[in-house]
Amino acid sequence: MESFLTAFCEKMFFPILHPIFAPTNTFLSKFYQPYATICAIGFFIGAMIWVGVVLHEPYVNRGRAVRSIWTDLRLWTVLSMLPHVFVYFYFY
Amino acid sequence: METIGLAPIDIVIIGTYMLGSVLLGLFCTRYVGNANDFFISGKALPFWAIGFSIVVSDIGAVDFVAVAGATYTHGVSAANFDWMGSMPAMVFAAFVFVPYFWRSGVFTIPEFLGRRYNTAVQFVNGFIWTVVLMVMLAVMLWVTADKLMYTVLGWDPMWALWIMALVTGLYTFSGGLTAVVFTDVVQLVVMYVGGLGLLGVALWEVGGWTSLREQILAMGPEYQNHFTILLPHDTTGPFPWTGIVFGLGIVLAIAYMSGNQVIVQRTLGARTEWDAKGGMLLGGFLKSFIPLMVALPGLCALVLVPHLDNADRAVPEMIRLLLPAGLRGLMFAALFAALMSSISGTLNSSTTIFVTDLYGQVRHWLRWKPITERQGLTLGRLFTAMFIILAAVLAKPIGDNESIYVFIQTVLSLFQGPTLAILLLGIIWRRATGWGGLAGLVLGVIFCFVLKYTPNLFPSDDPFLFVAWWSFVFSVIVTVVVSLLTPPEPDEKIRGLVWSSVVQDDEAQAALRERISG
Repeated sequence: MESFLTAFCEKMFFPILHPIFAPTNTFLSKFYQPYATICAIGFFIGAMIWVGVVLHEPYVNRGRAVRSIWTDLRLWTVLSMLPHVFVYFYFY
Repeated sequence: METIGLAPIDIVIIGTYMLGSVLLGLFCTRYVGNANDFFISGKALPFWAIGFSIVVSDIGAVDFVAVAGATYTHGVSAANFDWMGSMPAMVFAAFVFVPYFWRSGVFTIPEFLGRRYNTAVQFVNGFIWTVVLMVMLAVMLWVTADKLMYTVLGWDPMWALWIMALVTGLYTFSGGLTAVVFTDVVQLVVMYVGGLGLLGVALWEVGGWTSLREQILAMGPEYQNHFTILLPHDTTGPFPWTGIVFGLGIVLAIAYMSGNQVIVQRTLGARTEWDAKGGMLLGGFLKSFIPLMVALPGLCALVLVPHLDNADRAVPEMIRLLLPAGLRGLMFAALFAALMSSISGTLNSSTTIFVTDLYGQVRHWLRWKPITERQGLTLGRLFTAMFIILAAVLAKPIGDNESIYVFIQTVLSLFQGPTLAILLLGIIWRRATGWGGLAGLVLGVIFCFVLKYTPNLFPSDDPFLFVAWWSFVFSVIVTVVVSLLTPPEPDEKIRGLVWSSVVQDDEAQAALRERISG
């Protein structure tokens, strides 16, 4: 079944898809470090900024029973992201 | 292959753990009086229980073996799934999807898709999820019974399978989501103690982290990338950095954390919106420690038991060689905890989807009366019992037939991109229509198959991360184009179902409350 599907797709779709993906692969192959780490860490930093700065505080913490810094989910987001930033720096 | 013998103290630890889990699960039965209690814990779960449960439901016993094996072969890049593949997606889910689902008062993701698009989308998505979860349940049972209990312990796999199915099925049947979540809390503690115990002993044996790193890097050129988490785009392995960032970080992780019923169902049972979001964040934080237990032992095994024919033997070999009696029982209790939590979570979620999105929809189409709360509870229990028995019966035939297993794994990885596309557009774009959603889902899954089976499109030998990314892009385009070609949905239909109106419009929120109570 799998070999049939592969043969069918290769005949039908490879001529259409290859001209699209081959240049994309060639283009992306030029980029590695430090762009890879910047992208990865950008994910974590971006999420921190989004929750900490962009979203409104009442929306972020809606429904909390006790108002205190320890129940502020903006702080939770930053604290839970930091170990990941360290990991992607460390395993560069 | 040499099996691991258990001392009486190990048997006592494992037996105590299993009995304790069953008793705790049965104790939760007193909190279950209707379908709402059974499926979403009567919306009473605190954030810490949600966070613990999300983590432990997500990690199965097989992960301990398979992820360690992948790290043994590919290095720390295999740990991306619990780092890049978790926290950013969980933050996104916590602040976009979770409050939205929680406020809309739905039981399942397909139910939400049904309200936003139409009942055909709900039925198709519910059907795919039910089949996938059922097969996953069967495979989970068989792989653990065969690869762990038989191969490692020498236990009869059929006996092991039925014991696990009955023990887990019993408390899931009785206590529903409440039992699942509170047994998960205990199981997480057991899992962490056992997993970190193995890591501690293994690191001690190799002489610490610095020594481990030096010894692996000295093994030769093929091990130079074992401590590099992001690999080049043109690597032939399965984890190139572009696939990790786009395919995993943007598509698979968000689809998994926002569209997977097993994960989302816990947040739907939260007592407040804050608990739902906080539970997701706590889960993400706790998940960041999972690679310490499931991936790093694979690196230690590279030093302690090098040249293994099968990398999946890394953890069992280390348990056999390193752990003394008592600690070995604890480690196996941890593996059982990981297995039982995954089974109970999957079982409860598949039942919820089946009752809500398939059985409920068929009744709706036949114009029968809607299911009452009491009937919902009875049906929930009935289908829980049926599904676990069915999964146990089908476990061996499905587990032995590799093509079925591979096919379902393929389907699971393939329909995540299209599901995310229609879910995301349904939430953020008012103009998305029912036809657009249906076309995006169906054509997106077909496009996934085309990408998967057309060879040599990507440098990677196993390009599932690229397939996920491009199928997501394709589904977004199809949904947008078809939506623009079809008449827009009436305002009253989508009111309270689009993010901006749920978050900002008080009138829409009042309409939503009315919809839920109605």
